[in-house]
Amino acid sequence: MAHGATKEFKVTWGMVIDLDKCTGCGACMTACQVENNIAPMVDASNKMRTLSWMLVFELSNKKSGAEAEVAYLPRPCMQCGNPACVPVCPVVATEKNEEGGIVSQIYPRCIGCRYCMAACPYHARYFNWEDPIFPKGMEKALSPSTSARPRGVVEKCNFCHTRFMEAKDKARQEGGNPEGLADGAYMPACAEICPTGAISFGDVKNKEHKVFDLAQGKDAFRLLEKLGLNPQVYYVSKREWVRKLGDNYAATGKPGAAKKHS
Amino acid sequence: MGLDRRGFVKIVVGGVAGTLFTPVIWKSLDDVSIWSQNWPWIPRLNKGEVKSKAALSKLCPAGCAVKVKTVGGLPFAVVGNTANPLSKGGVCPVCAAGAQLMYSPARVKSPMKKVGEGKFEAIKWEDAEALLVEKLTALKGQNGKIAAINGDETGSAGEVLSGLLAGLGNSGCYMMPGEKFVAEKGVKLMGGSGQPGFDIAGSDLVLMIGADALDSWGTTVANQKAFAATRPTGGVATAKFVYAGPVLNHTAAVSDKFLPVPPTATAAFALGLANLLINAGAVCSAPDFAEYKALAAKYTAEEVEKATGLKAESMKELAALIKAAKAPLVIAGASFGQGAGALDFVAGASLNVLLGRVGGGMTLLPAAPKAVAGAGASDKDAGSFLADVSTGKAAPGVLLVYEANPAYALPQAGDMAKALGNIAFKVSFSTYMDETASLCDLILPAPHPFERYDDNLNPYGVAKPTYLAGKPVVQKPVADCKDPVDVLLGAAAKLGLSLGFDTYADVIKAKAKALGADFDALVAGGIWTGEAKGGSLNLGASALAKVAMPKADDKTLALAPMSNQAYGSATLATPPANLLAVRDTELSGKDLFVQMNAATAKKVGVAEGARVKLSAGKGELKARVHLNEGVAPGTVAVLLGFGRSAWDEFTKGKGDNVYKILTVSDEAGTGLKVWAGSTVTVAKV
Ligand code: SF4
Ligand code: SF4
Repeated sequence: MAHGATKEFKVTWGMVIDLDKCTGCGACMTACQVENNIAPMVDASNKMRTLSWMLVFELSNKKSGAEAEVAYLPRPCMQCGNPACVPVCPVVATEKNEEGGIVSQIYPRCIGCRYCMAACPYHARYFNWEDPIFPKGMEKALSPSTSARPRGVVEKCNFCHTRFMEAKDKARQEGGNPEGLADGAYMPACAEICPTGAISFGDVKNKEHKVFDLAQGKDAFRLLEKLGLNPQVYYVSKREWVRKLGDNYAATGKPGAAKKHS
Repeated sequence: MGLDRRGFVKIVVGGVAGTLFTPVIWKSLDDVSIWSQNWPWIPRLNKGEVKSKAALSKLCPAGCAVKVKTVGGLPFAVVGNTANPLSKGGVCPVCAAGAQLMYSPARVKSPMKKVGEGKFEAIKWEDAEALLVEKLTALKGQNGKIAAINGDETGSAGEVLSGLLAGLGNSGCYMMPGEKFVAEKGVKLMGGSGQPGFDIAGSDLVLMIGADALDSWGTTVANQKAFAATRPTGGVATAKFVYAGPVLNHTAAVSDKFLPVPPTATAAFALGLANLLINAGAVCSAPDFAEYKALAAKYTAEEVEKATGLKAESMKELAALIKAAKAPLVIAGASFGQGAGALDFVAGASLNVLLGRVGGGMTLLPAAPKAVAGAGASDKDAGSFLADVSTGKAAPGVLLVYEANPAYALPQAGDMAKALGNIAFKVSFSTYMDETASLCDLILPAPHPFERYDDNLNPYGVAKPTYLAGKPVVQKPVADCKDPVDVLLGAAAKLGLSLGFDTYADVIKAKAKALGADFDALVAGGIWTGEAKGGSLNLGASALAKVAMPKADDKTLALAPMSNQAYGSATLATPPANLLAVRDTELSGKDLFVQMNAATAKKVGVAEGARVKLSAGKGELKARVHLNEGVAPGTVAVLLGFGRSAWDEFTKGKGDNVYKILTVSDEAGTGLKVWAGSTVTVAKV
């Protein structure tokens, strides 16, 4: 795919995450690990080694007392329209060419060079330093959706791609249109479990889908918008300082306060 | 394995360095990658039909009504049950890890008998049950010799425990601390009776004083759902939420306002608000209004500011917000769900009386019918009991511990664990090898929630009588376990007692019948709700006269234990899957971080990252400092759930246990033991 151009799709799966609703409970992180068979780590405080396809950052307005505010920012893969990771992969192990616009990660092709990780400004990609070792017996609770990845490959959120396939299959079986799924027919694990409904999911190009309007709302923004990567994940917050941090993030090219929890 | 995959790829890459940019090499590397990823130690996925079954997941204190997804009959994921009106499709982060917790390395795999300090031997169920019966037989009929500690506030199992003890001539059935217990005492002090409820969904301003209602107070998921319903994404919020408490926690993060109030000042803050509201014209017909008014007058915003550092202006703004609301609701509790005094509760609840919101926002639930005849009231607290055991005032020979972890989760936990040592024969009914089980003489493994029948009546916080029940999702438990209630009923039969039931399922069926609920509908994921009772409350003025304005003190800091539901509870160490959510500013390697604001840190003479020792009573806690401007002045916040000495490699020895440094005091005028207002000294190490 050409550098610097956004590839257009008829269907564009996207998330709109309401930061004024997210309590930071972490259920989305747990659901994501469960869905995607991420093995628990004995020392998960070593954030250089953990695999957090979904990571809830803590943002602070840096004020004190009654002025102090925090916000939680769940960060899946942004599934950028114009991803920084795709062109740098020497073996085409990550692509953006399927209808829906999800950036794929093809594990059997990945050679673990980690160029894509360096390229992703959202730090959404993770390298498997270890083999996926589950405590004895826990492999019986593996989800049938996703194969476990061996050490040496890079992995990331894929909007629970298996659920997308299943939703299309179901539509086919029921005589519906797999290329025009109804709102809610395809729902990633994190969005499904969130107890406050902070994560909305759907086709941002489809007027019938809730996210169509939400993504265009006046308080909607995307991280690092200035970089022009055109993420498919949107955020909403009425709090100006939160929206500004999204911008700051862009201005410095660094995750700023968000970096606290990496 | 001599050569792992990465090493292999590296060697091949090394061998071709220099020619890396020809596509041929990349193609062959691709093949190498595919080949090297097919090794057998990569776990294989389970096959079979995917189904979803309703379950009651009591892994979290409130209990989540969920659906468990299974593949080939084996649970692998938990999703919400959208048809259940309590959880409305939401799941808390602990229950989200429920399927994996069936295989937790900390699970007790079979009955175990202690054979030496820290040593256990697996025994057969029939031997284990015979041993239990033998010990109970020996002490039958001697009151005070058999005791039980129950950590499950909502299950009918408590009735069976208490009924069994009564049948054995004993009355010592003790509850682990929770807010229900304290709140019921508070309601009594206000001239009423029953468990209070809170209708968050029906309120347009919710003031939470201490109570971390969107993370760990009450029916958390239901509260989160009620909160979420008032703020449609992209739309206009229809209710205001305000959090007043010691830490800018998960609840405060999404609230419209946060007021930092130290945990020592909960009641004073509420009375300060009462004063402002009365000055702004609030009146009520409660008989003790005049007394209350005079009392509240002492708590001017300025006085409260002096004592707490909370700006008078902030309180005045809040009072104005409350005045403008049509249906305000006040919920008071401890920031970590226990240890608050009845006066803290009364001070908060009195605002609901003052605002005319009793019956509307704050409700009273009628007494619930019992399934087991002979079951007593569950109003005795385990902490006081173990304190008596340590001084010899109580001297039981047998202790039954059900779903409770007193050796870890009571204030001055170190002393509590020691007190357990004074009891000759201790039995733990537990799914996991927790701190208490590892001190017991007999461990009888309990099934995981997806392997058992259980029920949940009136979890604290619900506005209406509420009943849930669940049945096993799997045919066969993962461990060699038995339902504790079945074991207790079996023991009762052998002791010649009849409690009227053979199995826990029968008890729950009887409970459902007594309530007029349909058991089959309940275990299919349904719910039963009744109606709150009428009745009024007074303002609790005579009890509130005992509230004292907190005094700032130069040597100590107020201690604010902080709970984060994802990190587990008293009866559950952090699930392995949730460790990822723990921030590296909270736990790093084995170091726990305690949190305080920069001004407090300066006062104590510590900086970010400094190693400190917190002490109170006989307990000490070691940690490092993390500066957090969201902590109230003069307060140190410490996360609950760390410093495990049992469990598994995922949790054992990580951080320190804040329960060790909580100190118990007697609440003036109520006789209750309280520890939410504990103070500690902080020293650099
Ligand atoms: S589950 Fe929802 S509320 Fe909880 S952290 Fe994730 S997005 Fe936030
Ligand atoms: S969409 Fe799926 S893979 Fe991505 S963060 Fe959510 S749960 Fe994880």
